[in-house]
Amino acid sequence: MPDSLLTLTGVTKRFGALTALNAVSLDIAPGEIHCLLGENGAGKSTLCNVIFGIHPPDEGVMSLNGVPYRPAGPADALRLGIAMVHQHFSLVPDLTVVDNLLLGQARGILDRRACAVRVEELSAEYGLALAPFARIQDLSVGERQRVEIVKCLMRNPRLLVLDEPTAVLLPPEIAALIDVCRRVAARGCGVMLVTHKLAEIKSAATRATVLRGGKTVAVSSNPAEEIGVLVRAMIQRELGPLGHAAEAALGLSDPTPAEARAAERPHDIVAQIDGLSFLDSQGVKRLDNVTIEIGRGEIVGIAGVEGNGQSELSAILSGMLRPTGGLFSVQNTDLTGRGPHDVTAAGVGIVPEDRHAVGCVTAMSVAENMFLGRLRAFSRFGLLRRAAFHRAAADLMQRFDVRASGPGAAFSSLSGGNQQKAVLARELTLSNLAFLVAAQPTRGLDVGAVEAVYGHIREACRRGVGVLLISSELDELLAVADRIVVFYRGRIVGSCPASPAYRERIGVMMSGQPA
Amino acid sequence: MISAESAAVFIGSSIRLATPLLMGGIGELVSERAGVLNMSVEGMMLTGAFAGAVGSWATGQPILGLAFGLLAVLPVALLQAWLSNTLRANQIVSGIGINILVLGATTLGYREIFGERSSDEIPGFGKWAPPFLGDIPVFGQAVFLQVWIVYLGLAIAIGTALVLRFTAIGLAVHAAGMEPRAVDKSGLSVRGIRYGAVTFTGLMSALGGTFLSIGDIHTFTEGMTRGAGYLAIAAVIFGNWRIGRTIGACLLFGAATALQFQLPAMGVDIPNALLIMLPYLLAFLAVAGLVGRQSAPASLTVPW
Amino acid sequence: MNRRYLPGPGILISVGAVVAAVLLGIVLIALIGVSIGDALDAFVDGTIGSAYAIAASVNRSVVFALVGIGFVFANRANLTNVGGEGQIALGGIAATAVALYGHVAELPLGLSFALPMLAAVAAGALWGGLAGILKTRAGTNEVISTLLLSFIAVWLLYWCVQSNALLRQPMTNSATLPESLEIPDLTKLPLVTADPSLPLNIGLPLTLLIAVIVAMFLTRGTVGLRLRAIGLNPLAARRAGIATERYAVAAMLMAGGLGGLAGALMLQGDQYVLKDGFSSGYGFDGLVVGLLARGSVTGVIASALLFGFLRSGGISMELQAGVPSAVVRIIQGIIVVALAGAVYWIDRRGTSR
Repeated sequence: MPDSLLTLTGVTKRFGALTALNAVSLDIAPGEIHCLLGENGAGKSTLCNVIFGIHPPDEGVMSLNGVPYRPAGPADALRLGIAMVHQHFSLVPDLTVVDNLLLGQARGILDRRACAVRVEELSAEYGLALAPFARIQDLSVGERQRVEIVKCLMRNPRLLVLDEPTAVLLPPEIAALIDVCRRVAARGCGVMLVTHKLAEIKSAATRATVLRGGKTVAVSSNPAEEIGVLVRAMIQRELGPLGHAAEAALGLSDPTPAEARAAERPHDIVAQIDGLSFLDSQGVKRLDNVTIEIGRGEIVGIAGVEGNGQSELSAILSGMLRPTGGLFSVQNTDLTGRGPHDVTAAGVGIVPEDRHAVGCVTAMSVAENMFLGRLRAFSRFGLLRRAAFHRAAADLMQRFDVRASGPGAAFSSLSGGNQQKAVLARELTLSNLAFLVAAQPTRGLDVGAVEAVYGHIREACRRGVGVLLISSELDELLAVADRIVVFYRGRIVGSCPASPAYRERIGVMMSGQPA
Repeated sequence: MISAESAAVFIGSSIRLATPLLMGGIGELVSERAGVLNMSVEGMMLTGAFAGAVGSWATGQPILGLAFGLLAVLPVALLQAWLSNTLRANQIVSGIGINILVLGATTLGYREIFGERSSDEIPGFGKWAPPFLGDIPVFGQAVFLQVWIVYLGLAIAIGTALVLRFTAIGLAVHAAGMEPRAVDKSGLSVRGIRYGAVTFTGLMSALGGTFLSIGDIHTFTEGMTRGAGYLAIAAVIFGNWRIGRTIGACLLFGAATALQFQLPAMGVDIPNALLIMLPYLLAFLAVAGLVGRQSAPASLTVPW
Repeated sequence: MNRRYLPGPGILISVGAVVAAVLLGIVLIALIGVSIGDALDAFVDGTIGSAYAIAASVNRSVVFALVGIGFVFANRANLTNVGGEGQIALGGIAATAVALYGHVAELPLGLSFALPMLAAVAAGALWGGLAGILKTRAGTNEVISTLLLSFIAVWLLYWCVQSNALLRQPMTNSATLPESLEIPDLTKLPLVTADPSLPLNIGLPLTLLIAVIVAMFLTRGTVGLRLRAIGLNPLAARRAGIATERYAVAAMLMAGGLGGLAGALMLQGDQYVLKDGFSSGYGFDGLVVGLLARGSVTGVIASALLFGFLRSGGISMELQAGVPSAVVRIIQGIIVVALAGAVYWIDRRGTSR
């Protein structure tokens, strides 16, 4: 084994009562691709931030090339040759690629031309195609990620950390990214690839470390062969066996239909989406003539790489966005262009994609969040009847197993899973619920919460509610949905039954080719 | 018909009246581009006007007055920067507070220092016309014979435009207002950039203020800026956060002010109040979206 | 726990800032060379020295309180109304116009003074609502628009009292001042007591009533809850079916209307004549009062009283003891700056718990 580049010994990081990292030890060698695996909340991002100098560790030591490494901030990390591509890009949208690369690098008068030349060199060397003078706001997500990577490479780093780089990419883009990682490693740079998807490790990793609950639970120097061991280490839980959907979501088992699902149900339509289109303010077609019918008790899954019109679709269906063309009706009530209030009144439940931005007001209480749209039921002369209000909330919390100190607890004090359960409780208890739109309902949740969320959605289905399930996790859709519709660039590329047999075909459709 | 003479006088006084706005406006532009809505331009200008007057009166040297004005604004600018960056205070509230404080302090200071001598003229700068330009018939003297600070202001405006466009500093300032996270991740200090931008606003505003007191009218009066600082902010908004358009807005506002003196002389009867109101009305129409699409820096007023 | 019965850090910091600023003001007075005793005597005379002084101070406080309540109300929806000055001016213009030329003086049932007040409320609400509409329609920052609207309104008022075609009194000779006629007696606000040495007008009970109602709806009402949701997360509030845009406009209408009412009280209860400089900084002081209150209507009342008495005392100190009124300005400035900065410590304490 080559000499270690970066070594972590017993690193512990606490946030209040939470121990995010518990005595983690890890080493990365030059020229290797070291995969850091773990579920959401396992401490991966915290570890990255410790390495990159954003959080100082509470205990433990780090050393870089055998020299103690104690970064006071990202500036120290950068100076010492550690570069990081964050999950959230930090690019200035109205500047060009070159200007973004020069930010913080150049001094004095900008030499944009020389930078453009350097970009082209790096592009050629690592296979990262980039137009140096394109504006960031005009680039796709994959291209923006390339800008971030080039930004790191321009510093000639000794260690490149990539935090969940594949979450936003198309399958061919993932392959290209892995290729870039290999080329970077081949030049003697250490690469740390953080992920919770397993396919990537197989093809890329030279070593892997698994985090669970902030602890190192497995290390492998031959990850491609030991993938089963790593996965079990990653998701093992104290409580009960895993649900089927959760297993499928992690790629642990092949998703097979949980119960016999009839390919063709008697189609008693609850929701009709007819030729829906949306042009954004720049005139870009985000949604193009989308037609879907959802039957009673049916779960229709929307598959596709993120950013292909799914967000616009769910925004339109929830009344937050006015379509520029087409119709949307639920149980023969036309809801096209109607506001959220009317949509809710028509019996449409919405689990928004971005829980914190749209689904709740984190600074308000659980009860207030549950009934914000139904305050009239608890008011007299415009004043709130607190006691009745809290009783009703406590009742819902019990039915949906929302764990909090009480109805008056701040929503922000709840875990992600409990927040999502509270949102579901609100949306699934609409008195006339007929249609549920759930966008990425399990994102960021732990395995137990994922099962609970799907349990509630299936339960609603049995009551005859039609469900539109939007998810970027194909395996999840295959396990839960009845039928899958694939989106690409705002259009429906095709649809098929939700069966693992169609996995390859769906993958092809996700990249835009009709199958 | 408007005679060439009166047109020349009008242009000359427009430029003269636009100068304090221009300096405050350029300063404010930089700080807003960096993400700080600096409402204390008014107070900063007043500080400059007062300290410039005191310095010039005490030493008899207007240039020392200017230096004194620039020096005196530093604590005000640093207070604003500290409040809006380090303490993450509401930028509007802290700015208004500083304006109240400065108005009180300069009024008190003026009474204490000048007292009965308040009608005395304070030594100020003379006027100067650039060679050749000053020799143009009719226009030469009326337009180009100005206090040299006017030319300094123009030079700084052009310099600022070049720095914003072509240098690393300009890039960092723009990014700090648009996407501060990118600045932070690139290893630069968002707070440092914003401290610098606010200090620059302070210096520019003080320069505009000293122009008012010892450049233009050679005396100090209580609250003599009379909302020029707010007008400078309006100019930045009207200029859609672009430097060229901001300069244009300042000149327009200067011209509107000049009309107050010009029109009655020409026998045109337009209510004075309407002309004084005009710049605010124009700026209001601009922010109301009636003058093209507005594109404020994304992180304006958001502390880092 | 007893913790909730103790004053929170916010109140302590507010009180601390005020005390420190006042102490600094006293030091300044001493530095100027005025005897502290004289200054304090003058301050007491002008604030609580006589029934008249108390009433004058309270009437000032009422104006500050109305602007402050409006500020707090709009601020619940995260809207910052800095346009009190303009809303007062517009209210003053409307009240003057209706009182002088609306043929209201002979109307029964108090309509003679109520109609000008209503006109003022409508005018102020228009000015505030305009900013609200721009906010929701064009995304215009309400701080900038209300500030600009304030300047416009102040010059509108100037125009009104300068122009014979508008509200200026008829010119009888060259010495006729650029101001309106005095409003008819029947349009002036009636006093609460029959005692003319205690000129408290009905503005006080009206304001207290408004304060109680607003406080109740903000703390216990569904309106308060909805405004809070809009203020904290407008997207989520909209998703929950709240008509966020309508609420935002309504909040600004309310803030503006209260500003307009404040203008009516100043005109019909105190000045009786509209002239240049009518609003004289009351709107900005009202804004500061609203800020000091940190979102509570009770806080508004307390700080409005503080500012009302401070301003009266300042005027008296200037007249009797020769203390420049600028000292009071400085005290106010320090209070605002200190409180703006103190948010850092208050929030930090709030999050660490």
